[in-house]
Amino acid sequence: MSTEAIPAERPKRNYNALFGLTLLALLVLLWIILSVATPSFASANNISNLLRQGSMIAILAVGQTFVIITGGIDLSVGAVVGFATVIVAMLINAGIPVFLAILITLLVGVAIGMFHGFGIVKMGLPPFIITLATLTSLRGIGLLMTNGNSISINNDAFQTFSRSSFIGVPNLFWMVILVGIPAYIFLHHSRWGRYLFSVGSNAEASRLSGVNVQRTIYMAYTLSGLCAAFVGVLLASRIGIGNPTQAEGWELQAIASSVIGGTSLFGAVGSVHGPLLGAFILATINNGANLLNVNAFWQRIITGVLIIVIVYFDGLRRRGK
Amino acid sequence: MTSTAQELHPALTLEPGRTILELHGLEKRYPGTHALKPVNLAFKAGEIHAIVGENGAGKSTLIKLLTGVMPRTSGDVIWEGKPAALATPHEAMALGINAVHQEVVLCRHLTVAANMFLGEEDSRFGILQQRAMVRQAQKIIDDLGFDLPAHVMLGDLTIGQQQLIAAARATVRGTKFLIFDEPTAYLTRKEADQLFTLIRRLKVEGVTIIYISHRMEEVFELADRVSVLRDGTLVGTRNIAETNDAELVKMMINRSIEQVYHKEHFTPGATIVEARNLSGKGFENVSMSVRAGEIVGLYGLIGAGRSEFVTTLYGRHRKSGGQILWEGKEVKVNSEHDAIRLGMALAPESRRDQGLCLNLSVGLNLNLPIYKRISSNLLISRAQEKAQADRQIADLRIKTPTRSALASSLSGGNQQKIVIGKWLAHGGKLFIFDEPTVGVDVGTKAEIYRLFGALLSKGAGIILISSYLPEVYELADTLHVFRRGKLVATHGFRTADHEEILTQALAEKQEGPGGQI
Repeated sequence: MSTEAIPAERPKRNYNALFGLTLLALLVLLWIILSVATPSFASANNISNLLRQGSMIAILAVGQTFVIITGGIDLSVGAVVGFATVIVAMLINAGIPVFLAILITLLVGVAIGMFHGFGIVKMGLPPFIITLATLTSLRGIGLLMTNGNSISINNDAFQTFSRSSFIGVPNLFWMVILVGIPAYIFLHHSRWGRYLFSVGSNAEASRLSGVNVQRTIYMAYTLSGLCAAFVGVLLASRIGIGNPTQAEGWELQAIASSVIGGTSLFGAVGSVHGPLLGAFILATINNGANLLNVNAFWQRIITGVLIIVIVYFDGLRRRGK
Repeated sequence: MTSTAQELHPALTLEPGRTILELHGLEKRYPGTHALKPVNLAFKAGEIHAIVGENGAGKSTLIKLLTGVMPRTSGDVIWEGKPAALATPHEAMALGINAVHQEVVLCRHLTVAANMFLGEEDSRFGILQQRAMVRQAQKIIDDLGFDLPAHVMLGDLTIGQQQLIAAARATVRGTKFLIFDEPTAYLTRKEADQLFTLIRRLKVEGVTIIYISHRMEEVFELADRVSVLRDGTLVGTRNIAETNDAELVKMMINRSIEQVYHKEHFTPGATIVEARNLSGKGFENVSMSVRAGEIVGLYGLIGAGRSEFVTTLYGRHRKSGGQILWEGKEVKVNSEHDAIRLGMALAPESRRDQGLCLNLSVGLNLNLPIYKRISSNLLISRAQEKAQADRQIADLRIKTPTRSALASSLSGGNQQKIVIGKWLAHGGKLFIFDEPTVGVDVGTKAEIYRLFGALLSKGAGIILISSYLPEVYELADTLHVFRRGKLVATHGFRTADHEEILTQALAEKQEGPGGQI
């Protein structure tokens, strides 16, 4: 696994690394510009804040990327986040130990992901449809469970977690690393990672080559559901309430981060570091725009334009190659 | 059938037609490769000009230059006496240059008529004249004698029928110069005959035809002249009456024809697999067995049930009756997984749809069946992954810059080597090859046949499906003939003649369109 690249591998390596670098360069460039433009950007406080803002979308984007690589899409992740805040809040308030409450919430995320897999593999529904259905119904179930009210979480330790830091870095950002490293190993160094790509490229060829296509699809959606439930726990910890209407539109931010990070919506192209960088680029733009007092409405427009520009240039480079 | 067709249409003597297209030093360079070295060639109006050569010899490049898909590096093209830039497909079409590709590039979800007029729809005040178009399309199809409906979805037709529609479409657009790229690869014999009738008709109307094919007998049946490309160089042009098979093959590959079908005989060992009265979708009541060290050939028309039979054997489709015995014991094969675990390997019919992950690397494609072996606890050994891929690339002589090149960037023959190659590393006892040499040049064919020998010598058995009779005839130890989902005849190695086998495959009575079920 740790063997060095032999020369033959180099072109693709460099290419992938180069794209990662371009995104990283863009991120650093944004940071430099903002540091010069506003005095408050480079403050430790703001950087921590920025890392917190980007972290949750980043984790969602990683799960989303697994799904997109198989040629699918998971529209439910925002709703799963909101739903998970409700579950974890109710469990903690019911006096269940925090550790167990989190575990159960994560299992709920897994179950939702399995359900998506079931809908796609066994019922033959398009991923867009089954996850869209979950998106609306999960919000409804959450509202039914809470009667439309927010649930305040009565546990200080649970809430302090997301507000604290470890060696100067916000805990939320450590969570990105906690998810990112196993995700990287999974996608790029494990058999199942290869299968995600092969299924996204040609499911029939994979099947005839002995790849368990159904299991691969189950896995992608389960991982996405798991990531979303995990983000739900983090969000509940950060704001201290459970509310099913939270995280509205986060699925689109996750997809945008993934696509900015070089994932192809046609499947079979993607990485783990790309979506992470994509998420923090989006977070930086929002953070910077706030500091510069840019109208919040304009922020949305800028984000939209940026998505088009980045993906367009990515496409140009790919074709040019 | 081939011979009768030749009697009916003796090689047409070349009339001194005027020159319609001249190539002067036409050349194409890609970064790193010289795909087409300067070519000088003149095409005459109303001739059928075959172009043959191995995969990667420069045929596709030549077509792309002529149809304006790619710009040339240098050289001049003179069209009807005037220089032509041929910079865009649009310009080529405006001049009257059209191409019919091996894979149908039309819209499957539109009707036949809508496809015929795609881009040139008949409309009045912005409203499509649908009924008029269907009528017109039907008339064109009937005129050509195709016996196909114009109002159905294109996707409802067989690939062969779609190919005929694509050809018909090209003829109604003021075409003066029509390129056919391997048009018969997916056609049944009857469809091919209909296509040949169309081509001859176009010739009479003065259309120049470029006909690209790997099938020598078609070249001799149709063409007036033939040009041979090898490694991007035009080796020579011959009048068809003044050349023969052996000469052309020699020009193409610098090798004699006897060396292509290289048959090694082994003493058959124990029975590996046996189908007893196996039935399923598309075939019924098929009984046959394969022994170690033998090639069992399945011959028949496309749609005769051969592919369905092997995919059922392989667990891709459910059987509806009968038994499968593996090494003498009855087994259940409910999935590809079961089949692979038993020791079966399938190189499927369609490279693009079933064989390859086109937008992934050559290495990943080659390793796909063996990831379990080269990983421990889910983690892949990168070193082994690379070593395995490189070994396959070297052993099979796959022409690729690196193992990380995308499979889509390789030529057809090299792609086919991947489809076959990924199973060689995996190993197995029964190898099923479904049309392994469609669209593959003579040189690669010979290499693939040699691989068969290597597998047999290791005690494996092979099922070889082919629509190309000489292939199964020269290679199979046992030859089964399929017709309409049934196994209708069985022969030993070269125990029947071509005529007899063809008759058995085609059936006595006239078949419906395309001879499909």
